[in-house]
Amino acid sequence: MSDQPSFEPQIVAFCCRHCAYTAADLAGGLRFQYPTSIKVVELPCTGRLDVLHVLRAFEDGADGVIAAG
Amino acid sequence: MIVAETKPLDEIKALLSDAEKVLVVGCGTCVTVCFAGGSREVAIMGSLLRMAGRMDGHERQVEEVTVQRQCEWEYLDAIAEQVGAVDVVLSLGCGIGVQALAEHFPNAWVVPGLNTKFMGLPLEQGVWAERCAGCGDCLLGLTGGVCPIARCSKQLLNGPCGGSIDGHCEINPEVSCAWQLIYDRLTEKGKLEVLMEIQPPRDWRTARHGGPRTIVREDLRLPEDHQAGQSMKQEA
Repeated sequence: MSDQPSFEPQIVAFCCRHCAYTAADLAGGLRFQYPTSIKVVELPCTGRLDVLHVLRAFEDGADGVIAAG
Repeated sequence: MIVAETKPLDEIKALLSDAEKVLVVGCGTCVTVCFAGGSREVAIMGSLLRMAGRMDGHERQVEEVTVQRQCEWEYLDAIAEQVGAVDVVLSLGCGIGVQALAEHFPNAWVVPGLNTKFMGLPLEQGVWAERCAGCGDCLLGLTGGVCPIARCSKQLLNGPCGGSIDGHCEINPEVSCAWQLIYDRLTEKGKLEVLMEIQPPRDWRTARHGGPRTIVREDLRLPEDHQAGQSMKQEA
């Protein structure tokens, strides 16, 4: 297994600015690390998340999408 | 409005066959408000087809456009160039939109992305119900505004039948008995005597039983020399 290339999934995180995004911001302020393979997209509310945003993320190469709010 | 539903993706992929360039055409009228073929659904379909192409090892170039109304030549003229540049046009309009595209662009291959269901209305968000069968001889004035042609399973003119059970139809307890609705409505309006008049057998030639229908309004038609100037068909 060790000679297999490691798979690091690309994740797009759609985060509500009032909770999850603020939490990520706080984590940054506290110098916590998270993988660079996670791309955070700030939303005014996760209610704004549309199926089209999820599809576009996958279409543009994401392996997973997380809606956090 | 005309109410439609998206076809299964596998069926759409089969209709597109080996096409390399596809134009998904939405319609900004009925199918937009029933969330089947507006600009949002066109964008979703485009995204699905591009991803499906990659997963199937057959990448397609998928373009997207939505016209205000697919069923009028004038709105189709605006997309003539885009239609001419693709192998297949996938219409997310109703059956009329598909045929209008095929008729207006005779060189194009047009396939449907929707199943057109009925003329109806939204009862609540996400729920649509049939209300008109387009029978060509409206009798809603006799029935308190409830159509027995569209809403009675037997299209009875003098109902209800023996299958009316507690206000519901025998074919499905979730279907209201149209004649119970008519009776209740006329009772409420104090016009129950309307039902005493027996309706004679109907002339169904006004419906589709007389073949495809056309309306000609001579008062609206343009003089012949103007008609000749109007482009009815355009090469794609």
